[in-house]
Amino acid sequence: MTNAVTGAETSNVQIVSEDDVVRVQDLKLNFYTALGVVRALNGVSFNIPRGKVLGVVGESGCGKSQTGLSIMQLTTGRIEGGSILFREFNTGEAIDITRLEKNGPEMRHIRGNNISMIFQEPMTSLNPCYTVGNQIEEAILLHQTQDKAEARKRAVDILQKVGMPNPERIADSYPHQLSGGMRQRAMIAMALSCTPTLLIADEPTTALDVTTEAQILDLMRDLQNEIGTSIMFITHNMGVVAQMCDEVAVMYLGRIIERATIDDIFYDPKHPYTISLLRSIPRLGVARGEKLESIKGTVPDPYSTVTGCPFHPRCPAAIPGLCDAVMPDETFVAGSRTHTVRCHLYT
Amino acid sequence: METARKNGKSDDILLEVKGLKKHFPIQSGFLRRVTGYVKAVDGIDFYIKKGETLGLVGESGCGKSTTGRTILRLLDPTAGEIVFDDPNIGKVDLAKLKRSQLKQVRPNMQIIFQDPFSSLNPRLTVGQIVGEPLAIQGVASGQALKDRVAELLQEVGIRPENMTRYPHAFSGGQRQRIGIARALALNPKLIVCDEPVSALDVSIQAQVLNLLEDLQSKYDLTYLFVAHDLSVVEHISDRVAVMYVGYIVEMADTDSLYYHPKHPYTEALLAAIPKPDPRRRTRPVKLPGDVPSPANPPSGCYFHPRCRYAKDICKAERPPLRDIGNEHWVACHFAEELQLQGVTRLSEIPVIELPRRQAPAPAPTAATPA
Repeated sequence: MTNAVTGAETSNVQIVSEDDVVRVQDLKLNFYTALGVVRALNGVSFNIPRGKVLGVVGESGCGKSQTGLSIMQLTTGRIEGGSILFREFNTGEAIDITRLEKNGPEMRHIRGNNISMIFQEPMTSLNPCYTVGNQIEEAILLHQTQDKAEARKRAVDILQKVGMPNPERIADSYPHQLSGGMRQRAMIAMALSCTPTLLIADEPTTALDVTTEAQILDLMRDLQNEIGTSIMFITHNMGVVAQMCDEVAVMYLGRIIERATIDDIFYDPKHPYTISLLRSIPRLGVARGEKLESIKGTVPDPYSTVTGCPFHPRCPAAIPGLCDAVMPDETFVAGSRTHTVRCHLYT
Repeated sequence: METARKNGKSDDILLEVKGLKKHFPIQSGFLRRVTGYVKAVDGIDFYIKKGETLGLVGESGCGKSTTGRTILRLLDPTAGEIVFDDPNIGKVDLAKLKRSQLKQVRPNMQIIFQDPFSSLNPRLTVGQIVGEPLAIQGVASGQALKDRVAELLQEVGIRPENMTRYPHAFSGGQRQRIGIARALALNPKLIVCDEPVSALDVSIQAQVLNLLEDLQSKYDLTYLFVAHDLSVVEHISDRVAVMYVGYIVEMADTDSLYYHPKHPYTEALLAAIPKPDPRRRTRPVKLPGDVPSPANPPSGCYFHPRCRYAKDICKAERPPLRDIGNEHWVACHFAEELQLQGVTRLSEIPVIELPRRQAPAPAPTAATPA
């Protein structure tokens, strides 16, 4: 077994690549609420290589959105440990985002310019008081050029690129005049207007219908090939992951419990949670009339702390005396340099 | 459309909907004058046989939820008949019943709502919520009511001790179970499930789908399952109807519809499902434009502006829903000629067994890698 564990208790396996755009190490994020401390992220580590799409999957409350928001420094929680190294590809310098001031000039320079984000709700993430064109121009004027006419031209260009039928007219429309799919296209246009190094897409298609979703995914794939942006794709839909991503990180209760290439996740998953998740989705043409496999129980209350492996109360393969007492370390799966799992079954 | 009766014996049919329409008025101006109608449901015909699950799919705004609600008379239909075979009074047209008469039929038809957060009254305890239908219908009171509620909660997997707690104390999946218990309270025949799992996480979704299937076989329930997730509908339905802008475009048994679709819209819809198989990346069928507004639908076949097989006749004439054999109903002029692509079975992905560790388990200290 190739246990490439790098010492210390929170030992984190490094998948080394010089080509990383972002390297998150041992990120810890806490929320202090009236009801107690919510430990949203308990040591999350991952990296996104240049030009790749990393899927982050998990059930609601597992911390996948907060991971994305932490990279943007938009989270309302407190980052209390770890680092987020971001490498700007044109300059080649690596910056630790956690050390930047939230509203300081460096962070404001990165946000929207080098890293941008698409949110789940296309209805609420566009400002209803400004035209779509205005909102795209805002980012361009802030980061790229001072020339208003030039900004307008670029805004129309990018709207054309995301497949808007009549970009001039759309640029002069207000969000309420557009359908859900169109608004999400406008969001994508805005996010890509400064050709970011990293795009964080937080459930970009969850609110959309299946035909619109397919079109948006198709568009994102095309643009990704064309611009070469790395994408962190947050979703809970395993179908979307299979169609979009190169690599996958599966999260459970603020930890990454398995990381692998897309093929390994679907054809050779290791962690009992990943396996159960895959078995609980209805698959076309398979086992109709038979029971779906479900994971017993529910995700624990965020205020409580679970000893040992966070998944052990729901795990069908839990080992009494071990899984409920000791937190498993993240280790490489035997014979692989890309597939890591956090489970006692493989240590 | 010919009535369904010629295909199956009429006593097999629990619910038959004929020419159902629901138009919502558009009011504008100071005097709130009616300037038009949103034709949410515009003349649909279908039937549900006893004990089966009919899936109703379509994109948002196609009128599938309105259909479910109109059938239960939560909304009053503009036109059409809703013939329900009530076990006590026999066949009745729900569209014509008065409120007082409806109360007699209602115990046999219930609904489960989409959003488990807004469909339970936050000021009532779980016991009151589940017991309300029993109290209103005067079925039980006092200790008998409590016992029945406890039994119902047990049935859906909620501990009866939780009867005195309020909905906020439960997770989404548990709340949906409470909603199901409420729907079951009066031993209904028909349950309209209006997107019952779309607000839930995948693992919880599987639990709720399994529960619905268990209850169906145990109590011989009939479901109208409204949903937009085509994989879920495929899993649970015996037959499926596809809606587009207030109109049923195709209805058939699940296998025929998914593997041999006859309507171009169904084909596009099926192609768009994101398949959970990274070795099979698909590109969707191009559907130009957006879903038309039901207030101002196009001429002829509503799908013709987006249909790649459209010909002149499609612009002029709206195709009726007709049976092309084996109870496969299609509303397309060219249903027999078109060779359309269905979904491919995803059976090649291996079903992965959970790994098991050999007993005895090692001591905790020994297992920690140094």
